[in-house]
Amino acid sequence: MGILNWFAKSGPAVEKLSAGSFTVDRHGNVMTTTVGSEYPQWLLDDTAREVLSLFRGARAAQMPLTGLDLNFAGLHIAAREMQGGAIIFLSPQNADAASSPSGKGRP
Amino acid sequence: MESRHKILVLDDESGWLNLCRDFLAQLPGKPEILTVSSGMRALSLLDAQTFQVLLCDLRMPRMDGMQVLSIVRRRFPELRTVVLTGSVEEDFRSRAYALGVDMFWLKSDVQQNQQVFLECIESLLGGVDGGDSRDVHGKNLLDVIQMESALRNSSVLHITSGWRVAQVWMKDGELVDARAEGADGEAAFWRLLKWKGATFESLPAEPAHVRTITKSLDAILLESAQTVRKAGSPTLAQEEEETAFVARLTQVAYEGAEFVVTVPAKNVDVVKGWGIRDADRLAAWVRQAEKAAQRLGEKYNAGPLTHIAGHNPERHVLLMPGNGRTFVIGWPPEADPRHLFDRSKKLADAWAS
Repeated sequence: MGILNWFAKSGPAVEKLSAGSFTVDRHGNVMTTTVGSEYPQWLLDDTAREVLSLFRGARAAQMPLTGLDLNFAGLHIAAREMQGGAIIFLSPQNADAASSPSGKGRP
Repeated sequence: MESRHKILVLDDESGWLNLCRDFLAQLPGKPEILTVSSGMRALSLLDAQTFQVLLCDLRMPRMDGMQVLSIVRRRFPELRTVVLTGSVEEDFRSRAYALGVDMFWLKSDVQQNQQVFLECIESLLGGVDGGDSRDVHGKNLLDVIQMESALRNSSVLHITSGWRVAQVWMKDGELVDARAEGADGEAAFWRLLKWKGATFESLPAEPAHVRTITKSLDAILLESAQTVRKAGSPTLAQEEEETAFVARLTQVAYEGAEFVVTVPAKNVDVVKGWGIRDADRLAAWVRQAEKAAQRLGEKYNAGPLTHIAGHNPERHVLLMPGNGRTFVIGWPPEADPRHLFDRSKKLADAWAS
C-alpha cells in the first residue's frame, strides 16, 4: 500500500485549466486575453498562428469559414474570425482530460 | 378528373428560374411549374410529388446537375429530363446523353429559339400521356428494326433522340442505308445503336434510294451482340461502380446533408466526394486542419480529437476522423448545429459499414 501511494504521488500533477478567451490580429499577435497564467504566451501564439492558418486554408479551398471549432476529449477550442484576425475561446471539458499544457513542440 | 402536368425546374440562379417559370407558363397545356434552387430540394420534391418533366441546370454548387440526373435516372425512370445549361463544353453534352437525358439545350439557344423549345417541352409532355405507339423510349432500337425486317417492310424510319435526328432506309425488310450524327451507311447505323432513348416515325418507302449497307441485318445484329459481349465485363464494373455512387449520393440527400467527402489518411489514396465538385481541394485543407489540430492537441495535452466543425453563412462542415480516413460532411446553414455531430456520426457510421 505504501508503495502504491508513493507511485501515485510521483505522477504528473493534474492542473485544471481555466476557461478564457483571447483576441489576435491578422498577423497573429495576441491583443487581449482573459485566459489564466497557466496558459503560457508561446502556446497562445502557436494557437493563434494555427487558427489563422486554418481560416486562410479554408478560403484557399473555396470554403471560407467564419467559425471553427476544434473538439478534443478534454478541450474545446472555438475560433471566430474577426476582420482577418480572430477571437479564440478555450473551454476545458473536464479535469481529467484537460491537464496542464504539455509543452511539446517548444525548445 | 383531368390533372395538370407538372414540370420541375432546377437551377441555382433565381433570375433564370423566374424567367423559366414565366416562359413555360406559355405552354398550351398550362402545366404546373415548380422551381427549386438545389439538387437536394429537387430530389425531395420528386419523391413527394409526381412530375412529368425535369429541367435541370448542370453547373451548380454543392450537388451538381450530373449528380442529380444520375439519381433521377435510377429513382424516377419515367421522368423526362431536359438539361438547360450555359456550359458549351461538348463533354457535358455527351455525358448528359450518356445519362439518358431526353434533351440538351443551351440557355442561349432557348432564348433565341423560344418557340422551338416550347414545342419540344410540349412534345415531351405529350409523350407522357402514353398511347403513342411510336414511342420507343426505353426500348432497344434493334427491336424496332427487327420488327420491320420480320414484316419485310419497306420504309424510311425517321428517328429522333433529343436534338439528334437519324434516318434508316429499309427495303423489303433489308437494311439499305442510314444517316446519323454526320455519318452514312453502316457507320451511321452503328452510332444509332448506341442511342438510349428515341422516338421514330415511319415514312413512305424510297425505293430508288441507293443501297450503301451491303451486310444483311442478321450479320450486323450478330456483330452487335459480339461487341456487347466483349464490352460486357468493364461495362458491368462501371455500372456497379455507378450504382454504388448513386446509392451513396442518395443516402447523402436523404439524410439532409449537402455533401460527403472521404479523405484517406495517406496522400496516395483516392479522395472521394459525393455532392461536391472539387473534393481534392477540400481534402488538402482537411489534412491541414487535422495536422494543426493534432499539434494543438499535443501542446494542450487535450486528449484525442473527436471532430472539427466549421461554419459560414452558407453551410456547416464537420470533419469526423475515422479509421484510416476522415469523413467531411457538409450541412445546409439551417441545420441545427446542436445535432450535427450526432447526425454526422450516424452518416459516417452508415458509410463505413
